[in-house]
Amino acid sequence: MPSPQDQSDDLYKDAILAHGPALDRLGRAYEADPEDRRDLLQEIHLALWRSFRVFDARCSLRTWVYRVAHNAAASHVLRSRRRRSQTLVSLEEIEEQGGIAAKEDTNQPLERAQVLEQLYSLIQRLDPLDRQVILLYLEGMDAASIGEITGISSGYAATKIHRIKAILADRFRNGGTHDHP
Amino acid sequence: MEEHMTIHNSPDPLRSLWLNQQSESTSLSAEELRQAAHKLEKRVLWRNLREYAATAIVVAAFGYYFYKFHTLLLRFGSCLTIAGVLLMAFNLHRKGAASTMARAMDSQSCVDFHRSELVRQRDLLSSVWKWYLLPLIPGMTVFLLGLLQSMLAQPASRAHLGFIILWFATVAAICAGTFVLVARLNHSAAAKIQKRIEVLDAARIEPE
Repeated sequence: MPSPQDQSDDLYKDAILAHGPALDRLGRAYEADPEDRRDLLQEIHLALWRSFRVFDARCSLRTWVYRVAHNAAASHVLRSRRRRSQTLVSLEEIEEQGGIAAKEDTNQPLERAQVLEQLYSLIQRLDPLDRQVILLYLEGMDAASIGEITGISSGYAATKIHRIKAILADRFRNGGTHDHP
Repeated sequence: MEEHMTIHNSPDPLRSLWLNQQSESTSLSAEELRQAAHKLEKRVLWRNLREYAATAIVVAAFGYYFYKFHTLLLRFGSCLTIAGVLLMAFNLHRKGAASTMARAMDSQSCVDFHRSELVRQRDLLSSVWKWYLLPLIPGMTVFLLGLLQSMLAQPASRAHLGFIILWFATVAAICAGTFVLVARLNHSAAAKIQKRIEVLDAARIEPE
């Protein structure tokens, strides 16, 4: 029978194998500064590794991983917000401000890298809950999954998703991207 | 528990772009995890040391006043201020030391976790007058009265009575004004946090 430590190590490896790239994207979405991002990712990995000592399989591995990772990242945001005197906004406030301001006002389709840059910039302005919802949406989750991870009602998640789609469509209309040759 | 559908081949171009961007999947070795834990502990230690250093400076200053001044009021004021600063530092340490890492491990839902963080911050800010400002008031008041008494006791004080009273009133007003301002700013910050808590309450699934 494996020891609790071995079980924790195995679950950690499984989690990283399945969700490692998502955690990397989460780290980039929460922290723009590369040094701070490295620290944040280490914190997330550490929180996950420690958390598996008490993992009881009452929820799926994916739900557990996302909850722990987002909670660790939200703590990081609250901490750095105090340090940087940063103001975070909700999706509703972004919508009221007229969506995402483009760095260059052009009707030309954006390069993939530019779209990603603007997307990250939008996400980094959001308060933790909206940041979590938009990230989970971009990771391909439906309202029910988002509700299960974040603890918000599916109806509320669906409303947020609708708002996210409207904001993203407004800024990145018609797909908004083209490949570089 | 059933896994919900993950739309990796989503027709949504932004989702596709998001999921297909270059991402690394790096697991940390046991040694790297130990280092990360050590780094985190060091950060908490530094934060605590900064608090202790600020406390030590104030304690040293009022310790010096206790040694230098000989009137009862100034010495009593110095002692009360030192006691107040120590109490304030103890409160700061007790209330601020809770490890967010430990709570993140609980794997509460994100809303519950975020809410508990906000509630902790709101309660800290709204009661700041009680645990941060109040311990300093008796010592500062007695010390200021001691200074006034010392100035009035000097032979030339009658000639400058108006100036001394004006000086005392100004210093007292600045101290009181600073305390009120700090309390009001914290109260207003707590009210803003309360609004964010209400937004989370409206969003969360009602506990059964």
